[in-house]
Amino acid sequence: MKIDSTQPLEYSTEQNRLNILGFWIFLGAEIMLFATLFTSYFVYENRTGSGPGGADIFEITPVLIETILLLTSSFTIGLAIHAMRIQRTKAMLGFFAITLVLGAAFLGVEIYEFIHYYHVGATLQTSAFTGILLTTLGTHGAHVMFGLFWGIFIFIQIKKQGLTPQTANKSFIFSLYWHFLDVMWIFIFSFIYLKGMM
Amino acid sequence: MRELFPMKQVNGFIFSLLLTVVALSVYFLEMSFQAGLTILTVTAFVQAGVQLIIFMHAGEGEDKKTIYASLYYGIFLALVTVFGSLLAMVWGYL
Amino acid sequence: MEFFERFAIPHPSPMIYASMVAIGLVTIAIIVGISYFKKWGYLWNEWLTTTDHKRIGIMYIISALLMLFRGGADAVMMRLQTAVPENTFLDAQHYNEVFTTHGVVMIFFMAMAFIIGLMNYIIPLQIGARDVAFPRLNALSFWLYFAGAMLFNISFVIGGSPDAGWTNYYPLASTDFSTSVGVNYYNWALQISGIGTLMSGINFITTIIKMRAPGMTLMKMPMFVWSALITNIIIVFAFPVLTIALLMGTFDRQFGTFFFASENGGMDMMWANLFWIWGHPEVYILILPAFGIYSQIIATFSERNLYGYTSMVVSMVAISLLSFLVWVHHFFTMGHDAMTNSIFSITTMAIAVPTGIKIFNWLLTMWKGKIRFTTPMLYSIAFIPLFTIGGVTGVMLAIASADYQYHNTMFLVAHFHNVIIPGVVFAMIAGLIYWWPKMFGFMLNEKIGKWAFWFIVVGFCFSFFPMYITGLDGQARRMYTYSEATGFGPLSMLSFFGASLLAAGFAIIVYNIYYSFRNAPRNIGDDPWNARSLEWATHNPVPEYNFAVTPEVVSSEALWDAKKRGHNLFKDKIEKIHMPNNTGWPIIMAGLFFVFGFSFVFFIWAGVILSGLAILGCMAYRSFEKDDGRYISVEEIKETEDKFGGANE
Repeated sequence: MKIDSTQPLEYSTEQNRLNILGFWIFLGAEIMLFATLFTSYFVYENRTGSGPGGADIFEITPVLIETILLLTSSFTIGLAIHAMRIQRTKAMLGFFAITLVLGAAFLGVEIYEFIHYYHVGATLQTSAFTGILLTTLGTHGAHVMFGLFWGIFIFIQIKKQGLTPQTANKSFIFSLYWHFLDVMWIFIFSFIYLKGMM
Repeated sequence: MRELFPMKQVNGFIFSLLLTVVALSVYFLEMSFQAGLTILTVTAFVQAGVQLIIFMHAGEGEDKKTIYASLYYGIFLALVTVFGSLLAMVWGYL
Repeated sequence: MEFFERFAIPHPSPMIYASMVAIGLVTIAIIVGISYFKKWGYLWNEWLTTTDHKRIGIMYIISALLMLFRGGADAVMMRLQTAVPENTFLDAQHYNEVFTTHGVVMIFFMAMAFIIGLMNYIIPLQIGARDVAFPRLNALSFWLYFAGAMLFNISFVIGGSPDAGWTNYYPLASTDFSTSVGVNYYNWALQISGIGTLMSGINFITTIIKMRAPGMTLMKMPMFVWSALITNIIIVFAFPVLTIALLMGTFDRQFGTFFFASENGGMDMMWANLFWIWGHPEVYILILPAFGIYSQIIATFSERNLYGYTSMVVSMVAISLLSFLVWVHHFFTMGHDAMTNSIFSITTMAIAVPTGIKIFNWLLTMWKGKIRFTTPMLYSIAFIPLFTIGGVTGVMLAIASADYQYHNTMFLVAHFHNVIIPGVVFAMIAGLIYWWPKMFGFMLNEKIGKWAFWFIVVGFCFSFFPMYITGLDGQARRMYTYSEATGFGPLSMLSFFGASLLAAGFAIIVYNIYYSFRNAPRNIGDDPWNARSLEWATHNPVPEYNFAVTPEVVSSEALWDAKKRGHNLFKDKIEKIHMPNNTGWPIIMAGLFFVFGFSFVFFIWAGVILSGLAILGCMAYRSFEKDDGRYISVEEIKETEDKFGGANE
């Protein structure tokens, strides 16, 4: 394994550089995945059948809390990568942990939101609109959930092995994933919630 | 402590919170649907740009061109898919 | 007992029971055979756990050939059923199942697998790399494809085949009209193999962008590599659409949502919309690598540089964008306004332009060339006029107003077989014959190969040209029978005759493989075709590490120019080579995906949860695993090179 010490740790081996580029291409595919969900959402937006519409069920408070939580976690994972680049392992782990806690809090609020939808009679089986709403939010939520487990595994590995080319590479890729989820949430926040409540 | 909070990222975070506040204006202020949608489109795409460039370091490294090409291609196809489907299934559907 | 009833076939017939017995016997025979010859260890160590792109490529191609015969048997059954009016060989339900599985198997499990197999084998060799960017992921891609293919193929003996066409339109595919679990199989088999395909796409893009030999700039890549790059870009951006569409279909059928229903806001045509947003780019995913293969073969056997390299590249890039802009032409008759249909009609006609440019490039490559009429070249030459006819009928179909006449008739069936068979299938056969010596170290017999070629070309014409006529006369597709008064009888019989010739042609190819394996000489050298690109600069068959020394490239016809102008491709000394280790996780994970899919099809939630957790467990284990691969020492490389008759130094 040739290590190029002129580059940041996460780029230092050939395989690391391949991994990062490969993950960016994967994010390209994720753009299309969410674009398809948004496409379906826009088509079904006003097809509410006998069920409620967006304005009837959306609540600004939980949505705002979720947005702040995710934006902040995106900031802290960015700080974690910065700390990693200046070799501050402890600080990096701290920011990493904060990110995961914020992510878990986000999921908690989202679960509350889903329970609320259930109580006001907006389930997967209510109408095409509620179905696609919950599928889109659920796909994003499932990504966050997956990210939480993934992040915990990387956290443990850094704790055990310290910052190596491998763990730095994994952390950097995880940060890409996490920022990407934040970007997708911004689109959900703008074009599903705010547009629906306008 | 200071070196852990680089200005670039702190500013980016503040800016992204600001964008959120601007986007929220469509909820709290009275405005036409078109005006609201314009504000949302601008804030959402600027927000995405902030994340990509400041936080995701899309512009660094030797593969910058490939990464941007893949993003532009993805965004183009996303827009084609959204608007093409709206054309086929909503606006142009008799 | 009630638990087991769900696995019964809803429409049993003696043929299906016979297939069950046959599948059982073959499985037992394979297991007994491998155990008797004590090959389990060999199979596991050398093939099932391999991360070598060449072996994965060969496994893809073998699976694709198996699927070709499965799908081909379906095709012959269809033509037999419609050969005479009011035939009773198949009933309506069986006919529906047969045309559905024919389409799905041929597109997803045959054509996709074949092109990915060829890309796997050839691309790293053509760019002078040692493997793909992510060898383990590559193995996982293959095994996920294989798991999906097997899941789909057991449907006809356990629970019932899907019967709503390969396009699976709703409401026909909904639980109201497709009551068996068949469509669940469709959803899960395609979902699982689709994940594998998406990962292949990411893998190949990264490989081509990052792992080319020194000196090989983008504009010096062989045309097959260019076509593969564009194809994989389309794969990465098109397959997520299918993922979501299948997910929504699954929700509709298994969790009672209303996405594609006709009540509570649902919209059945939304499935068609999403399906074709993926489906039309899919057409180009299949045809572009074929164009790449033809480009290699035509240049080699005309002994000229490919004419119009740059225009070839530009037209493929144009196709990569345009292919996402035309999907609505698949449902012009749905009821759009004139404006919408016109837009998509124009984009559809526009996409014929870059394709036309390519046709001229191939013709001009042959112009004044020293043409050698080898079997691969014959397929390439036959491709040009036949594909052009398919393209022209495609432009006819692109005229939205006229499409009201063609829509859903045999004319359409004739059109897309006319592009897919001379386009994709001929390219696959030609590519297989062309690269066969690279893979196995001997050549296929040319004489027998040419017999097969004539059977296949003539058989193709007889099978599909009559359908243009019956289609224009109004014969609807997917109808299991017709009355004598329609007058479709004689032409349909001709079509059956053609299908028999096609089947005979494929049988001759199989015989050729057997014959050549027994009789062909093994001392054919490294470059038996006098070819032009890098894969022929290493030995036949290729050693594990591909190239003892990484080649240095100065032109797009790397090997040809090295031969003619005396460039030295291999300047460096032999050094130790880093290779990936074998791993059993991909096949184990794919096995778990199979269990997951199967359980989901039949609503066995315990199986879904357990296998789902096991899949996540595998990923977690993989996250903690450390595997840096291994090195092949200089002595070992020298020993291997000596066995092949000296290093290419």
